[in-house]
Amino acid sequence: MITIDHVSKHYQMGAVTVTALQDVSLHVNKGEFVVILGPSGSGKTTLLNMLSALDTPTNGKISINGQDITSASRTDHFKFRRETIGFIFQSFNLFPSLTALENVQFAVDMRGNHRNGSRAAVAQEVLTQVGLGQRVRHFPHELSGGEQQRVAIARALAMGNPILLADEPTGELDFRTGIQILQLLQEQASNGKTVLVVTHNREISRVADRVVELSSGQIVRDGPPQDGKAAISDLHW
Amino acid sequence: MRQVQFWLRWSWRDLKARWLQVVAIGIIIALGTGVFSGFGGQKKWRIHSLDESYERLNTYDLRMTLTDGSYLEKEALVDALRDVNGVTGVESRLIIATQVDASQDDETILVQGEIVGVDVAEDGPHINQLYRNQGRNFTEADSGQNVAIVEYKFAKHYDLKPSDALHISGDIPLDFVGTGQSSEYFYIIPEEGVFLGEASYAVLFMPLETVQTIAGREGLVNSVVMTLADGVDRKGVQAEIETRMAQTFPDIGFEMNTRQEDDIHKLAYSDAENDQVTWDIIAYLFLIGAAMGAFNLAGRMVEAQRRQIGISMALGVPRFWIAFRPLLVGLQIAVSGMGFGLIFGAILSNVFGNIVKDFAPLPYWIIELDMVTFLRAAVVGFLLPFVATLIPTVRAVRVNPIDAIQSGTLVAKGGGWTKLLNYLPIPGRSFARMPFRNILRAPWRTTLTILGVAVAITLMVMFVGFLDTFVATMDKADEALLGRGGDRVQVNLNFFYPVDTPNIQALDDLKTAEGNPLLDQTEPRLMLGGTLKRGDIEIPTMLELVKMDSPIWRPTFVEGDLRAGEDGIVLSEKAAKDLDAKVGDTITLEHPLREGTFSFRMMTSEVRVAAIHNNPMRSLNYMDMSSADMMGLEGQTNLLVVTPSQYANVNDIKRALFSQPGVSSVVGVQEYLDAFDEVLRLFTLFLRVVQIVVLFMAFLIAFNSTSINVDERVREIATMFAFGLPVRTVTRMQIVENIMIGIFGTLVGLLAGWLLLQQFLAARVEDQLEDINLVIVLAPTTILISLLLGVLVVALTPILSIRRMLRMDIPSTIRYVE
Repeated sequence: MITIDHVSKHYQMGAVTVTALQDVSLHVNKGEFVVILGPSGSGKTTLLNMLSALDTPTNGKISINGQDITSASRTDHFKFRRETIGFIFQSFNLFPSLTALENVQFAVDMRGNHRNGSRAAVAQEVLTQVGLGQRVRHFPHELSGGEQQRVAIARALAMGNPILLADEPTGELDFRTGIQILQLLQEQASNGKTVLVVTHNREISRVADRVVELSSGQIVRDGPPQDGKAAISDLHW
Repeated sequence: MRQVQFWLRWSWRDLKARWLQVVAIGIIIALGTGVFSGFGGQKKWRIHSLDESYERLNTYDLRMTLTDGSYLEKEALVDALRDVNGVTGVESRLIIATQVDASQDDETILVQGEIVGVDVAEDGPHINQLYRNQGRNFTEADSGQNVAIVEYKFAKHYDLKPSDALHISGDIPLDFVGTGQSSEYFYIIPEEGVFLGEASYAVLFMPLETVQTIAGREGLVNSVVMTLADGVDRKGVQAEIETRMAQTFPDIGFEMNTRQEDDIHKLAYSDAENDQVTWDIIAYLFLIGAAMGAFNLAGRMVEAQRRQIGISMALGVPRFWIAFRPLLVGLQIAVSGMGFGLIFGAILSNVFGNIVKDFAPLPYWIIELDMVTFLRAAVVGFLLPFVATLIPTVRAVRVNPIDAIQSGTLVAKGGGWTKLLNYLPIPGRSFARMPFRNILRAPWRTTLTILGVAVAITLMVMFVGFLDTFVATMDKADEALLGRGGDRVQVNLNFFYPVDTPNIQALDDLKTAEGNPLLDQTEPRLMLGGTLKRGDIEIPTMLELVKMDSPIWRPTFVEGDLRAGEDGIVLSEKAAKDLDAKVGDTITLEHPLREGTFSFRMMTSEVRVAAIHNNPMRSLNYMDMSSADMMGLEGQTNLLVVTPSQYANVNDIKRALFSQPGVSSVVGVQEYLDAFDEVLRLFTLFLRVVQIVVLFMAFLIAFNSTSINVDERVREIATMFAFGLPVRTVTRMQIVENIMIGIFGTLVGLLAGWLLLQQFLAARVEDQLEDINLVIVLAPTTILISLLLGVLVVALTPILSIRRMLRMDIPSTIRYVE
């Protein structure tokens, strides 16, 4: 599904070269729930940016479903994101001028494979899935943080793409809401989507199928959670 | 001091971060203050220049003009007036209509005009002196010689120089010795012609004796100019002159006017006054546009610093210092805007001064910088961005620090008025809905942008509306003047002649060079000056006596009827309106009455309004030829209307009649309209420049707003890119949003422009264009072009943001928290 082959990323900061990723290789299978764990500056967000074709590696190759995205054009990158990736951001990044339903409908529109009448129905259905069936007409500023993040997840799901990338999805949420979000993500993996969650919260990694730990731009551990996979109800932070 | 330097450095960085928007706003402010300072003081220096020019040329205090066709012995007239109490100087002239041929090798210049015979003894003329532009002045030796000084504007228009070939009616060659200006001709307005008629009307100054000889009026004059002692009672002097004239020359009619009553004087001064009103409106509109832009930008800059302001407050920095940073940015914009504005103003003032000099040249120009206006502009230019920054800054430092600092879900911004559109379903994809929602998201900014664009369109509509109005009015005049007799030619005679006199009859026998007949039809008419009166209203008129069954041309009636042989007058719509007269009413007509060969006096008659005609020129009024007996002119003519035969054109007729005795000028009716077209061409050129400037302003305001929107929505744009929405779709959304702003702005601008145009022209009609029945219109093409340009310019500004979006660092922007 996802193959990262000897990828490095260097940034030039004035006269200094900063290495964000150093010779990282990784393979993720379809339906896996992977947590990429690491402290600030470990390179986890850089890795996520590479996977979503928002950034390109200095060296190495990334293939997704057999397609090499590192050598693709800018237009292909846009198309790739449209057709392969679903994004969930730490600060939600909802469109403030659109209602919850319209934010989700935005994603449906992106794929453009639904008829006019069914677009709203699809968006409504996805919002119901994430427990917001009654809040569809509300604007983002009228929703709580947890609700906003659920709209963001619904938006990512409505894309219908096989890979979900979540960047610190619980970072701005309280524990209870964070747990609900993790539950939603776990369900997506169970439904066959590949879910990659980037976080610095070690507790979250306990519910993953696999934990990839980064430090100073290198993978220092790759495997199931150290103490075995925990149930969401066992989490606390 | 160190602290000030620190804040200065910081604010300078803020400025640099938004340099494009700052430059845009600086230019808008510069345009506003520039127009304000550049044009604000024009009235003062124009009036100063006029005063100086009138004084230095020793312009008359009183002018007497004998009734058309009346002449008096020079000595007798001057003697009668010289010892009137309060009169300090008397000088007589003989003014005769003529045709002027100034054709050069490669150009035919054959226009109507007049020769002004002046006293050339002892470096004369002494009253209404001539300012020499080129060549030499008259000397005593010129008396009786065929020498002429050509009025400067005519010479300039055709690039004529002393010693160029010059002939007048009768094919009389003149020695062209110089070009010059006289205060009576600061503007050239032929009686039948148009404002700025220098292309179609030539004034030649010549020695009095020469003109008397050429006109066959030896020893005679028809005009007198007088100077009066300082502080003398002018009305008293005028009354004494009237008594003296009535006693000495009871059969002679005359009119008197003071310098201030002279049409040219009135026009010159009122033009300066009215132009000032126009420029003030324009300057204020520019300043309003600048204010809109400044408020938009300053508000956004302060909003962008919201968290930093909160953090500073949390750190205990005094509010004064926190406010100091954004205010310094405002100050820097203010200083640069003001500086550029004043430079721009100085350039504008200079350019405008040169345009005015070119349009209506005066002998003496004192183009001075009006310090009061200059300082006022400086203060406005300075205060505008400063106040624009002050308001949002004061608001920003008054919030609780935590409200300013916090980020994340708690500061999710409201959707402005977007909720309103929730109830209005917009079909299509969510991308299609977003531009509509975004418009209502920041209602304040949207309103400011719409108003800014509206201001620019208002300016454009106002200016182009002037042009439309004049074109529509002249089209109406065209229609009235040309009708089915568009090819007719007016042959003005230098006096009244019996219609059966041999030289009039001889015209019918004129042939072309090939021996074919020159004329198809000829018809004698009369053209007389007079005054229409009703109640307190008096309207000067050019009264034309026409055969109402004329096969060549007669006026077109919009109301009533007048048949051949019937009494009554046909009034222009404007004259009827101003006199409050309807068909069937009776008005008083003051008209000349012939008393002797060279003597006419004015008398009044009651006449019935028989009809109203369609020409918008108030002064053109008509009677049937049978009414000539009322003037003692039965069987006489001073105007022949002819049509060319199939073998000839207007120029053939002009050439053939040029040497005919008694003919003073020959003008094709179409030429009056051509002269106007020439004036229109100049105005159009000027209006095009204005159009470009205001469109540039609309562009800057829209660009600023779009650029601010891109700044504010940068995270949303990055998110769209992250979801794979192409740049072209995002740009299309911005364009749709701008199209709506453009449409709203243009519609508001069209409405405001239309209202201003009406108000402004209505005011001008009262004091400057009272002789024209203006058809105030906005042509459909103007509306369409304004809509297209307004919407297009605003709509296309997002294209300039494409590069910025393409260079966006999407991952950083997505995480970016202001």
